[in-house]
Amino acid sequence: MTAHHRHESIIWLGAAVAAAVVLFAFGPGIALLGTEIMIMALFACSLNLIMSYGGMVSFGHAAYFGLGAYGFALAIVRFDVPPALALACGPILALLAALLFGSLCVRLSHIYFAMLTLACAEITYAILFQAYDFTGGDTGLTRFVAPRFGLTPQLYGLVVLVVLLLSLLILRRLVASPLGLAIRSVGEDPYRTAALGYNPRRVQLAAFVVAGGFAGLAGMLFSVFHGNAFPDYAGLAFTLDALVMVVIGGLHSFVGPIYGAIIYLLMKTFISRYVGEWELVVGIVLMAVVLGAPRGLAGLAARLGIPSGGRKS
Amino acid sequence: MNSGVAMLELSNVSAAYGRGMALHGITLSVGRGEVVCLIGRNGVGKTSTMRSIVQETIRVTEGDVTFDGQSLLGLLPHQVIRRGVGYVPEDRRVFASLTVAENLRVPPAGHVGVRWDIDAIYQLFPQLKEYRHRQAGVMSGGEQQMLSIARSLLVNPQLLLLDEPHEGLAPKVAEEVIAALLVLKREGISMLISEQSLRTIRGCADRVYVIDRGMTVFSGTPDQFDSDPEITRRYLMATQE
Repeated sequence: MTAHHRHESIIWLGAAVAAAVVLFAFGPGIALLGTEIMIMALFACSLNLIMSYGGMVSFGHAAYFGLGAYGFALAIVRFDVPPALALACGPILALLAALLFGSLCVRLSHIYFAMLTLACAEITYAILFQAYDFTGGDTGLTRFVAPRFGLTPQLYGLVVLVVLLLSLLILRRLVASPLGLAIRSVGEDPYRTAALGYNPRRVQLAAFVVAGGFAGLAGMLFSVFHGNAFPDYAGLAFTLDALVMVVIGGLHSFVGPIYGAIIYLLMKTFISRYVGEWELVVGIVLMAVVLGAPRGLAGLAARLGIPSGGRKS
Repeated sequence: MNSGVAMLELSNVSAAYGRGMALHGITLSVGRGEVVCLIGRNGVGKTSTMRSIVQETIRVTEGDVTFDGQSLLGLLPHQVIRRGVGYVPEDRRVFASLTVAENLRVPPAGHVGVRWDIDAIYQLFPQLKEYRHRQAGVMSGGEQQMLSIARSLLVNPQLLLLDEPHEGLAPKVAEEVIAALLVLKREGISMLISEQSLRTIRGCADRVYVIDRGMTVFSGTPDQFDSDPEITRRYLMATQE
């Protein structure tokens, strides 16, 4: 299997180099777009962990993305935490919220689980939206750091690329670890996993918290990227974006959400230049994928012989 | 044949799914090292009995289930398993998208020196080693059954519950499963096996219970069972009433 691993490492390395080249070769506009794609890819990958591996469909994943942004922003604005330290506050706040909300949500499954995650996210959004004195309400938090800490788009893109690669490495290790196997087992059949001595809820909660933490990391990167934090970051639109990326990219694939993020944001950016209703195009693409290629772009790629990092690996 | 103190004991157990009663008085015991067979027609409560032991989805409303003298009532399924009960459910349910080897890595790693580790499993079921990189979902029914049993052994149970392990298996494959169960019996693992007839596991059963409509209606040795054809006629014939 080492040959297989080496093969895979080469592909990852190649993709990373290609991403870096794209960041630097086509000017700041493309670098900014590339950075947004990478941040959203990380966010979608975190959702993919619970969806494709844990069998849990969340309608409220943006809560942790938003809290990642606000953890970072509030630490600076309200608590005068030095920015370097505040970077850690985003993911940590998201992680703690995922622990709190997650322990509630994993008590139920299927659509009830999804509704609970939605309820938790709506509560989060409402608090961010209403608590003017603390969160700035619907005007959000702005001007607390320079966007990208003043880095050039290219350089910040490189930072995000490194964070994304490290995160993917950790997630890749996780899904192959004993905990990862337990997560995948619970995703397939919680009863069977319990019959092997695991508490399925505990396993689901672990996956939920890890996913929340990585969503928070993405949210924090997003907050640094724009130098602001808005309640919308925790809103339903962001959750739906991530869900669509996971589905277009391909359920049950490790790298699917990355394909999904690329296609989705390219469509959003370029189609909206020519067609007012770019959502219409997204809708048609989504329909085509769900009906014609339910395993998404990663599934199509696999059929063409490109490794998709499928969950059997 | 009951060797010593009962390891598992169900005393007059009634149990329900929500409000729907499924068991109306199951009394049975499994001694240490003993292989006990639970037989009955489809839908009389064999699976419910198994579930009332591992506390899965069913709620025991009356009576008690004890393992090693301690009640299992109120525990969660994984807690029952951790006390030393292995459970191979009716429809096998291997993790289809995982490989054979990954399926076997799911149970939490045991302590050093435990009887059943991956190597011991591969010795008992050489086919599993051969197919270890294969996706579990594409294997034959018999192979999936082996995998399901193997997986349960990795929790190193003192008692193994097998719910209709021969259902849907070709006779030749069923024999292989029997052979494996006999090895486990020699290892001293207690077993409670449910089946629709005694025929399949005649060779390894020490005692037999017959259940009908959620109640224990017969208890005895295989020989006692055979000497009373009325039992088979009344409780086990397919067409009745």
